[in-house]
Amino acid sequence: MMAAAEKFVEADNAEAIITRIEHKSRKIESLLKQNKPVEALKTALEGSSHMIRDERCKSANWIVVHRALMAIKDVEGMFSSLDPEYYDILMKYLYRGLSTGDRPTCDQCLRIHEKLTERAGLGCILRSLADTVNAI
Amino acid sequence: MASTLRLYLTCIRNTLEAAMCLQNFPCQEVERHNKPEVELKTSPELLLNPVLICRNEAEKCLIETSINSIRISLKVKQADELENILAKKFLRFLSMRAEAFQVLRRKPVQGYDISFLITNYHCEELQKQKLIDFIVQFMEDIDKEISELKMSVSTRGRLVATEFLKQF
Repeated sequence: MMAAAEKFVEADNAEAIITRIEHKSRKIESLLKQNKPVEALKTALEGSSHMIRDERCKSANWIVVHRALMAIKDVEGMFSSLDPEYYDILMKYLYRGLSTGDRPTCDQCLRIHEKLTERAGLGCILRSLADTVNAI
Repeated sequence: MASTLRLYLTCIRNTLEAAMCLQNFPCQEVERHNKPEVELKTSPELLLNPVLICRNEAEKCLIETSINSIRISLKVKQADELENILAKKFLRFLSMRAEAFQVLRRKPVQGYDISFLITNYHCEELQKQKLIDFIVQFMEDIDKEISELKMSVSTRGRLVATEFLKQF
């Protein structure tokens, strides 16, 4: 009985989350038009740490983050303005990008991965490996 | 081209340095047994998230870690049929002699060309940095070896064909 009620709540929650992700996507498009790729990435990574269990929400969030990641041209500049609190989530998304196998995505992710490891250290990688609860 | 290879190898090296944190852990199910948990995958609390690092559609590297063992599976670049056959034969040659390599797995994981299995015992006897250097060096050398083999096969084929056709 409780499980059924929980499932209902989850479904509603999923719809709400997907609407939120769509809002985020529109905001990111406008930020990219104004030539602010770092702001766009920050917006994309915000809210990803909330426990999104549904597969659709995860895919939707990944598409948004992917759009922001591919728009980044200057990796060094990005790190100078990105807060350290985003490093862990960014590392998780980088590994998701590396697993896609799509050449431009992998190139971009490998570039950012090298710089992020220099900045954040091996601990960041280990946290993304060890976190089985908040899997992206 | 060369820079993607460098970035790919750096990424793998960093991930291995972070992931190769192994300790002895006796089997939880069976007394007095000590098994590499990454192979059995019976207890989820002993496993870390597996990580797939792709350089492009053809080359990838799967790194699975557990508390006492790490499994690294590689898929090498195979541009045409000849490279396909050469890579398969060469890597099968190496895998059959896995005893000599210690860290090699006799059969590659499904979908990959070659696999390494490193346990906590290997980390105790051998240095972790050198193990990682070995794996990265292996990846670089494989490409060179296969290109050399391909070139020698084409040269030999050309010589044989010239000699044979001389009689006509």
